[in-house]
Amino acid sequence: MAEPMLQLKNLSVSFDTKNGEVEAVRDVSLTLNKGEILAIVGESGCGKTVMSQSVLKLLPKTSRIKQGRIIVDGEDITDYKEKEMRKLRGGVLSMVFQDPMTTLNPTIPIGKQITESIMKHNKISKEEAKKRGVEMLNLVGINQPEEMFALQPHFFSGGMRQRCVLAIALASNPKILFADEATTALDVTVQAKILNLLLDIRDKTGISIVFISHDLGVVAKIADRVAVMYAGKIVEIGTAADVFYDPRHPYVWGLMAALPSLTKAGACLATIPGMPPVMLNPPPGDAFAVRNKFALAIDYAEMPPMYEISPTHYAATWLLDEKSPQIKRPILLKRMDQ
Amino acid sequence: MNRKGMLAEKILRRILWFLISMLILSVAVFYFARLAPGDPLQSYYGDAVESMNSTELDAARARLGLDGPIALQYVKWIANAAQGDFGLSLKYKMPALDVITPLIGNTLILGGVAYVLVFALAIILALFCAMHEDTWIDRIICKVGTAAYYIPSFWLGVVLVLVFSVNLGWLPSSGAYDIGKSNDLLNRIQHMILPLTVMILSHLWYYAYMIRNKLLDEIRKEYVLLAKSKGCTKSEIVLKHCFRNVAPTIVSIMAISIPHVLSGTFIAEAVFNYPGIGALSVTSAKYHDYNLLMLIVMITGVMVVSSSIIAQFVNEAIDPRMKLTEVSAWKETSQTSSL
Repeated sequence: MAEPMLQLKNLSVSFDTKNGEVEAVRDVSLTLNKGEILAIVGESGCGKTVMSQSVLKLLPKTSRIKQGRIIVDGEDITDYKEKEMRKLRGGVLSMVFQDPMTTLNPTIPIGKQITESIMKHNKISKEEAKKRGVEMLNLVGINQPEEMFALQPHFFSGGMRQRCVLAIALASNPKILFADEATTALDVTVQAKILNLLLDIRDKTGISIVFISHDLGVVAKIADRVAVMYAGKIVEIGTAADVFYDPRHPYVWGLMAALPSLTKAGACLATIPGMPPVMLNPPPGDAFAVRNKFALAIDYAEMPPMYEISPTHYAATWLLDEKSPQIKRPILLKRMDQ
Repeated sequence: MNRKGMLAEKILRRILWFLISMLILSVAVFYFARLAPGDPLQSYYGDAVESMNSTELDAARARLGLDGPIALQYVKWIANAAQGDFGLSLKYKMPALDVITPLIGNTLILGGVAYVLVFALAIILALFCAMHEDTWIDRIICKVGTAAYYIPSFWLGVVLVLVFSVNLGWLPSSGAYDIGKSNDLLNRIQHMILPLTVMILSHLWYYAYMIRNKLLDEIRKEYVLLAKSKGCTKSEIVLKHCFRNVAPTIVSIMAISIPHVLSGTFIAEAVFNYPGIGALSVTSAKYHDYNLLMLIVMITGVMVVSSSIIAQFVNEAIDPRMKLTEVSAWKETSQTSSL
């Protein structure tokens, strides 16, 4: 039985703005097991980042957890205050951000930025911390780590900086790493190297990773399980094979159809018409209904529940209801081995 | 080019710029001072000027070096100034340098102490406000600070004199020391309390607010999120990460603020009748005392320009990205790689 590291139970996060309440995350439930890479996929503004930052409680004061529980390694941290969260951040929960050019402090040497985290969570001397810092740089694949240790971030390229950010994030042996678009700002070859590095680190340390991305190709390479988010809700969650080869939600069909590899040469890329909804006053039913050519009348009125397709695969669409008409799903990815 | 050569070239270039800016300053002030209406002879000879005939007037002008075209006067002035002779003060009828020497120390003490106190307090206040951003204490400090900053300093000076000197009799109202007590430190400090209070109140919030906002800009940056996700506390983030990154800006602000604080010193000197070059510069402008005015302007100019040069050097020491040497080294490599 897999050991759950992170559990979100019916988590809802809202922002209070001048124009009213923005419901960024709505009723999200998921489980992340030990040593597992869970990818969260969705378009901009669908709540991926808010969801992950709400676990570390990094969100601004205007946000609040409206309902639900956050359970980390068996411990309910929903009501943790700043002081308790500080011990978790870096020590148990860690985060890597999108743009390595801005996430490092430009004036502080890389080494010091790493040891800062180590000294914080471990009671060790400066020399030991330095030794560990150099080890971390070595682990993330920085050549000549001892010399690089004393250099400021502007001496590093984007890919190397992201490796440094990873070294900082991993320095105190966290149990869960949130990688928020960690490879988006990098070019493709560097991206591939960082992905391999993440897989490698997972195998070495047994860390659990929440990998947030909007790039299905990247997700396919790295993820054990995939959760697709739309308008603050998880619309489909399952193993990578479930979601890629047997998608059930029309939004996921749309995403798959829009992949360049599924498009005939010379033809235009398939798109999903319309825009994601503004989450100020989310629609009562399925938020995707207005863009969905398979939408049923009930989609506009009532939120679909999560239907179980298999013990690992769930999707929230009325099309899975017994009473719904049988719709022929567009042909999407096929397994190569079938 | 090697590092040493670069440094020498850099210093030489700075000195050259320094000389050029001083030259431009002296030309401008020399010319504009003479545009003001009024006769400098009046300052020197007093009412006797009215009974002089034109030959006597011409002779007097020639004696004081006020004859001939302005350009020629300037050339003469600068030739003398280069040898350390800044001419005669028309009002005090003695060398301008001798007029200033005993007073400049007073101004430097008052201005220097005010400057240090203003920035020490401004940085402390700014750090405190940044750490407590948007809490009630931050809001109260912001409002009180803004109100205090907008009290005109000459009015505040008069009110302080009224309360603490006239009504309570605690502190002296004017001067730098009581007669015969010029070496009495306590006496000097007593005389400085009121001018310093005025200067600090009229400058403090301007800089505290500027530094506070710089810190808040910095706190919005993404690296703060990474620092936070490492488990750093708010005060650690502000002190260790943000403050270091705004330090170059603070140094620049401090350097640029020298004229501002200096002008504040001049006002405080005027209000409290404190014997310094600020009060003197007002007098010299009033009496068309060109030589004295030029000397004061040049001294002020040297302070301002050299302070900005010092700021650049300090900036480079704090923020390695600002080093000219590395920029040029980078340019060299990028040029060779493009070939």
